[in-house]
Amino acid sequence: MPIYTKTYRRYEGQPRRHFRWLVVIEQEMKTLAKFRVFKALVLIACLHIVLRLLQIVAYDVLAQDPNHPLQIVFANLDIAYIGPDTFFSFLYLQTTIMFILLLYSGSGMICNDFKNNLMEIYFSKPLTWVDYSLGKTLTLMLLGLSVTAAPGILLVVLHNLLLPGMETIQASWWWPISIMAYSLAIVLPTVLCILACSALLPSQNYAAITVIMALVANSSLGMLFAGMLRQRDYMAISFPLALRRIGETVFGDERILFTLSWKWCFLYAVVVCLVALAIILRKVRRAEIAA
Amino acid sequence: MTPIIEFSDVTVCYDGFPALDGVSVQVGGGAIGLLGPNGAGKSTLIKTVLGFNRAEKGEVKIFGIEMPARAIEVRHRLGYMPELEVSSPKVSAVAFLTYCGRIFGISRVDALERAHEVLNYVKLGDSRYRNMETYSTGMLQRVKLAQAILHDPKLLLLDEPTNGLDPDGRIEILDLVRDIAARPGVTVIVSSHLLPDVQHVCERVVMIDKGKVVHEGNISEMTAPRHEYCEIRLRENDQMFVAAARDAGFECARLHPSNTWLVRLSQEGGAQRLFGIARDCNTQIRHYQPARRSLEEAFLQAMIKE
Repeated sequence: MPIYTKTYRRYEGQPRRHFRWLVVIEQEMKTLAKFRVFKALVLIACLHIVLRLLQIVAYDVLAQDPNHPLQIVFANLDIAYIGPDTFFSFLYLQTTIMFILLLYSGSGMICNDFKNNLMEIYFSKPLTWVDYSLGKTLTLMLLGLSVTAAPGILLVVLHNLLLPGMETIQASWWWPISIMAYSLAIVLPTVLCILACSALLPSQNYAAITVIMALVANSSLGMLFAGMLRQRDYMAISFPLALRRIGETVFGDERILFTLSWKWCFLYAVVVCLVALAIILRKVRRAEIAA
Repeated sequence: MTPIIEFSDVTVCYDGFPALDGVSVQVGGGAIGLLGPNGAGKSTLIKTVLGFNRAEKGEVKIFGIEMPARAIEVRHRLGYMPELEVSSPKVSAVAFLTYCGRIFGISRVDALERAHEVLNYVKLGDSRYRNMETYSTGMLQRVKLAQAILHDPKLLLLDEPTNGLDPDGRIEILDLVRDIAARPGVTVIVSSHLLPDVQHVCERVVMIDKGKVVHEGNISEMTAPRHEYCEIRLRENDQMFVAAARDAGFECARLHPSNTWLVRLSQEGGAQRLFGIARDCNTQIRHYQPARRSLEEAFLQAMIKE
């Protein structure tokens, strides 16, 4: 019988003592990567990125080349034009797939650990509720930003590479900042709301349904008030439209849906984030410090 | 020498109800059993050691370190096997244990190596790559034990380690626990309401009831032979012998379900007189030994006293 079947060795190593949330992120990513649905959703998110990539290549290469037979087509095509609106519409369309991806990945993140009694195991080790919460939140944030901000910024860089010159730089230097700001505005509240529902409810399905119901109810309410009272500013009750209003401001879009100041919408997003964060921290902290 | 666990007048409450009520106890090395009926406060005591429960009153020190202020430092040296069934679906036992090791700060390579080693030790080597959702209760119990010993803890807390196990599985887990407890420098606390489990593994016990420590001591002392009592078995004529012994002033009680009798030797030379009575009743004493108190009796006595 080999020696290892009889006993186990003493552990002589010196454990590392920092950044345990990184381990949580790594583990969550590994677990998610095992699911086919997750891979499919990432693939769908990539399709839109590829389409935008083609749009940039068409505008920056084909439309700028007077000798190319397709130059006339792309130069006069409005939807092929690359400007701040392009990236705003890219992020706005990407929001739906980002939401589905995060809902699928995050709705079971905390409640499954509660359901499978894993909290006691994790917190009996040198992992704090702060590490745990930070790990879960950052996992979803990374996922969300990897299908919004990251490709958006890369597309801006590509645009500058394909169409080099001071003119392009002057026109587009602020786009990455806007992309990052709007991406954070859509990803952070989504992540926190999904995790809050996951912490509050006993199962992944309940959490996902609750998030969707809250979103539908809130959007319907906004539209209902706006229609009944004939005042478009009430649309801001709808959370997705409130976030859109922030996007319009960040990208300098003039085709605004309603005139209510973006500051109110920003405040709305901040309040939602704070409430969700309070729920997550309270529930997770109670798992570590029971009494 | 600093005690491993030191509770001084500790009170822990759940919504105002004291689950631990002024508990003072010191635990050194070796294997210690935590005995008590359901709801006595065993799990609360373990969770207080882990820092999950905060004492409303009193002081808790683990390895001489104050809790819960330095809980993280203490948890580096702790291993905990919880009472409830634990599973991590879609994850293999190796992956789960590697993750647990990484939480301890063990490098990826070391964590993976130790995961294999420990899974072999708990006899899960063949099933280590299967997803945990396919495991039986016994296998999950082994995974729980494996994650608790992965980082080679100095203090191992086992909460009802044989829950839901068949007799063979129970003995195997208890043998593993006894083997771990025999390692130098390792203290094992076994919380259970199953007295044979505790007797199988531990040298000392702490008995808890209604949040209070009602008795503590060595099992060997608690179950030492009592010379004022003896166990006897007769060849025949049991009833006649017992009647004669009672007439002679001996207290007799039958030990069920066997045909053994417990006799209190209240007088000097009692044993010789018993043999005389047997001769008079035309029978023979075929078995005679000083009676031992079982752990169950000691436990019941402690509970009744309280």
